[in-house]
Amino acid sequence: MSFDALAAMPQYSLSQPEKERLLLEDFNELTEHHRAHCREYDRLLTVTGANHAAKSLDEIPYLPVGIFKSHRLASVPQSSIFKTMTSSGTTGQQVSQIFVDKETAMRQTHALGRILGHVLGANRLPMIMVETSTLITDRKRFNARAAGVLGLANFGRNHFYALDEEMKLDEAGLREFLEKHGSQPFLMFGFTYMVWQYLYERIQRLGLDLSNGILLHSGGWKKLEELAVNNAEFKGRLEAACGLRRIYNFYGMVEQVGSVFLEGEDGFLYPPNFGDIIVRDPVTLEPAPNGKPGIIQVLSILPRSYPGHSILTEDLGVIHGVDDSTCGRHGKRFSVLGRVPKAELRGCSDVHATQAGRT
Amino acid sequence: MNAKLLVPDSGTVDVHELCAKLRAASGRLEPFHPSILEFCGNFSRALFHDPMARRYAELQALAFWMRKSEMQRMKTQFDSLGSEQTLLMPRGVVFHIPPSNVDTIFIYSWILSVLAGNSNIIRFSERAGEAATTICRVLGETLAKHDPALQQTTAIVRYGRDRAISSAISASCDVRVIWGGDATVNDIRSLPLPPHATELTFADRYSLVVLRASAYLALDEKGRRDLAARFYNDTFWFDQMACSSPRTAIWVGSAEDCGEASRQFYPELAREVKTRGHELPTGPRINKLTFAYRAILDQPAIEQQELYGPEITTLKLADLASVRREHCGGGLLFQAWTTTLNDLSTIIERRDQTITHFGFASSELRELARTLGGKGGDRFVPIGQALTFNRFWDGYDLLREFTRTVYIQV
Repeated sequence: MSFDALAAMPQYSLSQPEKERLLLEDFNELTEHHRAHCREYDRLLTVTGANHAAKSLDEIPYLPVGIFKSHRLASVPQSSIFKTMTSSGTTGQQVSQIFVDKETAMRQTHALGRILGHVLGANRLPMIMVETSTLITDRKRFNARAAGVLGLANFGRNHFYALDEEMKLDEAGLREFLEKHGSQPFLMFGFTYMVWQYLYERIQRLGLDLSNGILLHSGGWKKLEELAVNNAEFKGRLEAACGLRRIYNFYGMVEQVGSVFLEGEDGFLYPPNFGDIIVRDPVTLEPAPNGKPGIIQVLSILPRSYPGHSILTEDLGVIHGVDDSTCGRHGKRFSVLGRVPKAELRGCSDVHATQAGRT
Repeated sequence: MNAKLLVPDSGTVDVHELCAKLRAASGRLEPFHPSILEFCGNFSRALFHDPMARRYAELQALAFWMRKSEMQRMKTQFDSLGSEQTLLMPRGVVFHIPPSNVDTIFIYSWILSVLAGNSNIIRFSERAGEAATTICRVLGETLAKHDPALQQTTAIVRYGRDRAISSAISASCDVRVIWGGDATVNDIRSLPLPPHATELTFADRYSLVVLRASAYLALDEKGRRDLAARFYNDTFWFDQMACSSPRTAIWVGSAEDCGEASRQFYPELAREVKTRGHELPTGPRINKLTFAYRAILDQPAIEQQELYGPEITTLKLADLASVRREHCGGGLLFQAWTTTLNDLSTIIERRDQTITHFGFASSELRELARTLGGKGGDRFVPIGQALTFNRFWDGYDLLREFTRTVYIQV
């Protein structure tokens, strides 16, 4: 099914069997497209023996996400690359490099609009960014954080960046924004831990009214887990502090920008029309039965300029059910459980090398 | 300058005083003195019986190696090293620096140094794991019941990355033994030793396995099962991270035989892995997958990846000359075919330590070792013996390294 046809359909309207039937051909076509245009991708599939068309979504070959950190994989000539996106990483860590041309960029923007439109409606709303405005500088090279902020900024208007360079809340500015826009629906976006640390913790005793807000947040729960804050607590405390009720987490990554997995009103995540999720058994890497945690594989029909339509992540997740949502969404209902622990194998060299390197 | 003393007593010690004490006590017991042999036997027994030590296969292997009969055998070997005009005597004080992440391998070289009658000072890192802590405790308990001379010649100290302490001990020892990665060895090596002192380094190494394809194909069902079991021990016991675990498999014979033997061997190995219930943790599993994909892009000689069950990944190389040595561990084997054993002489290098073998005669292995000359390859052992420590390791004869040969002419 064409991208435009999938985009035209209401999101979450496809039952799982229907989606698998509609998307299978698209994914097989994408695999062939990348084989024809990305030499490295073709070699990987040839050497690993992935030589037949997939007969179901779980047969679509996947790349481990780490390969984008070590190798430059593109299915378009260098001259067509419109922007290079990189994952966020601490200093010294290798980051993913994702090469996007105009077509893929357009698909990303359009898809994201359709997905978020499902909860935001058609109109652009006034928007609070739980971010500092100094984040976005070099428009040619986006890291994940800047890309997220810029991507989301498209969905709002009258943007107010609520944090200064030192991550301090601009309280006066926030009050001013609420005076102007607070009585009508408005949009908010921030990374999960930043919303908690730089917004919630600062406003919890200010008595502000954010009840018309719709908060989108992403980025993972690792830092909040350390504070023993889970999704239910996150939502409950925010509502108690400022009346904010419409809160949507989403799961996405720089390797598949656009086809994000947005939270439903029931608190679970759902794949959009443009892709799917498969949870794989951590030992056999076969699809895991529902209810059993495993490694998340993400599928998206958006990437045409780089071979990232099927990626094995380093995240753990669990599928709770399929086509059984209580909030009107079809497809797989899942949660993300966090990163795969980086347990090192004990050996004669590796650990030592890093240690000695630090002295 | 203080460090934490763990054995024989626990408390804080001044490093200079400790070194002086160890020097004064060194050589009080001559090599293979009955008290030393008795101590080894009892240490072995204690490790066999200690409930905590029993949980570690590697400590049980150590206990087995240290049992009385084995130590007796070693004494006989040692006695034959001397002659009418030479006498083997302790070197003095030996400073042992174990790796912080492999808990037990250093104990073998330390015990050999004890047998040789030296005083020993062992540095435990602050990251020492549970197996090492257990060793420490059992050792302390065993020492307390033995000849006081043994207590006076043994010290385990713990300190962080304090170069001043390592420096002080280095400056007053006769032999320094360094286990660890290349970076650690280089780091410690920059600390001066007394002019007469010697040094043993156990750095990063690589190991291979070589199999004669026709010999494998001639094995009966039981023979194949046994070989798979021994191969499993070599490869999976430490998740392929031990330096002597094979990481590249070379089949020798006609291309047809090599292909056929390989096709039949790995499913047998996969069955063994399954029987033993071995499972790689998720992090290293993803790491292994990513490593294989990166290798496929970086090494044009890789022709085919094959998976045998969830634990075994093989990467077939176009030719022997394409063998590389980057590796992730966790059950990944590079493979290559070649026509004769001696072809290995074209690829073996200094880093290559153990070559486990199957299907070759002693004369063929000796011929290969001779052809290699000074290039590399320190151990040729049958499949199943990759991890079995003995006095010959990394090209050293440790019993000789830990003694001085005294020449006496009348």
